[in-house]
Amino acid sequence: MIEVKDLTKRYGSKTAVDHLTFEVHPGRVTGFLGPNGAGKSTTMRVILGLDAPTGGGTTIKGRPYATLRKPLRQVGSLLDAKGTHGGRSAYNHLLWMSQSNGIARSRVDEVLEMVGLAEVASRRTRGFSLGMGQRLGIASALLGDPEVLLLDEPVNGLDTEGIRWIRDLMKRLAKEGRTVLLSSHLMGEMELTADHLVVIGQGRLIADTSMRTFIEKNSQATTVVRSPEIDKLGAALERAGGQIRRDARGSWEVTGPSAATIGDVATAQGVALHELTPRLSSLEDVYTQMTKSSVEYRGATGANGSSASTENGA
Amino acid sequence: MSKVLIRDERPLAMGQVDGSRRREFTEVLIAEWTKFRTVRSNLWTLVAAAVLMPILSVFVGLTGSLQPDDTILGGSLTGATVAQMVAAALGVLVMTSEYGGKMIHTTFTAIPSRGRVLAAKALLISGLLFVTAFVFSLAAFGLGTVLLSSEDYATGELWPALFGIGLCFSASGILGLAIGTFLRNSAGAVTAVLGLLLLPTLFGPLFGDLQRWVTGGTPTAALERLTQTSDATPEVVGTIGAWPSLWLMCAYCLGALLLAAVQLKRRDA
Repeated sequence: MIEVKDLTKRYGSKTAVDHLTFEVHPGRVTGFLGPNGAGKSTTMRVILGLDAPTGGGTTIKGRPYATLRKPLRQVGSLLDAKGTHGGRSAYNHLLWMSQSNGIARSRVDEVLEMVGLAEVASRRTRGFSLGMGQRLGIASALLGDPEVLLLDEPVNGLDTEGIRWIRDLMKRLAKEGRTVLLSSHLMGEMELTADHLVVIGQGRLIADTSMRTFIEKNSQATTVVRSPEIDKLGAALERAGGQIRRDARGSWEVTGPSAATIGDVATAQGVALHELTPRLSSLEDVYTQMTKSSVEYRGATGANGSSASTENGA
Repeated sequence: MSKVLIRDERPLAMGQVDGSRRREFTEVLIAEWTKFRTVRSNLWTLVAAAVLMPILSVFVGLTGSLQPDDTILGGSLTGATVAQMVAAALGVLVMTSEYGGKMIHTTFTAIPSRGRVLAAKALLISGLLFVTAFVFSLAAFGLGTVLLSSEDYATGELWPALFGIGLCFSASGILGLAIGTFLRNSAGAVTAVLGLLLLPTLFGPLFGDLQRWVTGGTPTAALERLTQTSDATPEVVGTIGAWPSLWLMCAYCLGALLLAAVQLKRRDA
């Protein structure tokens, strides 16, 4: 069990985490969701004792991480950065880690086998692909057979097969009664893996709920529409009960009527459609909707990085 | 909790604590040794520090490029000052190499006690450097005595200077480690530590009355005094004797290490 209590972390004048409180329970995969810069990695670094909190605190099984003895046997972690030295082989990386926590050397071969890196174990990690690096990170996390796992963006850089492997692994570990906290900014992936969700934006808690409840409460059917005569179409759609919102790319998101209805309305009005795309990933929409409320976040979610400055300049 | 996923000959009970603090420190020390020996650049740097002394001893011996008032020991250890700088650079790298790929995160999640990590690194690097300096300056002196005539030059006192020379290298490594901990960046920390080693002996007189405490406390000055080279003039190495100079330097380096430990604990990793 991981506890985050009233956690605040400031770097200079920038507040990365703002009075955040949540708990992560064993036996299920908890997804830690938030856009880039929301404070997920910061929270995880504080939980692992790497960064000191400005206020509040975090515990694992009731104790601050720094007071754990042989922590790798209790908590496995994977952070966003690589965490290896490029000149050292995968085997030797895991070897020193096992030695530091009194873990049997045979376990190094076991985890290398488990993540599929046994063949390249003696190769220096500098030449590893992003996916291989992630697998090595997973191997380090599993090294001490820990009861608690914290993984920051573990599917980053993995191919489809790798993503499925992580998903199954996380579910299995949770089923074994372990506590699994998994961060991601990818909604679609989370929808398939997590049982419970902790959503943050700008360092603040937005939601702490089961995945099922989250989807049921927040699902909305939306359709992306592009048309040269959007004003004419828009008026007709609003009469049909649709809510219309312009998105950052200049197309329109219509909530309410189905794609078929929108197409019929367009035909009836004699308006050409350039795009008519039903949005299937409801979680993603909800998430965008939820996190949109923060000005800073909206800047960061524009079509590209420059939209933030454009907005500021306008 | 089921053990389906992991079959270990020796099951690890959760939260199990075995052994004393000493045993845990030994584990950290072994882990640090593994880290050290499994990166080639560390080994090459150590080799460079080692062989510089015999190589320059042979060079000096063959060319006979000694001052008339020089000793064979001093001439044989012409390379010692440069080797010492390499030793300091090695001390830097032992810490800064952890910051490249954020390996320090892995280190501190495996070993949350940062003081313990720094202490293990300090013990490891100082031990390695002491042994290396001891063995290879002895070898350099051996080569020097073969190549240089004891009729032309005084031999110089090998004992107990050799122990002091070993300590000089250890202390330089620890100074490098401390600077590396402060700056966390290889290039910057190597530059800084070389500056600390060189500048006081170059600009000693500028310090006025403080010179004996500044210049006399630098690792280079202590080393030059111990090697009994004719270069060790008071203007360059200060006016306090070889051994007081050595102890002063050791105190400075340990002081730097303590400050580094405080900094390491206070700062976010």
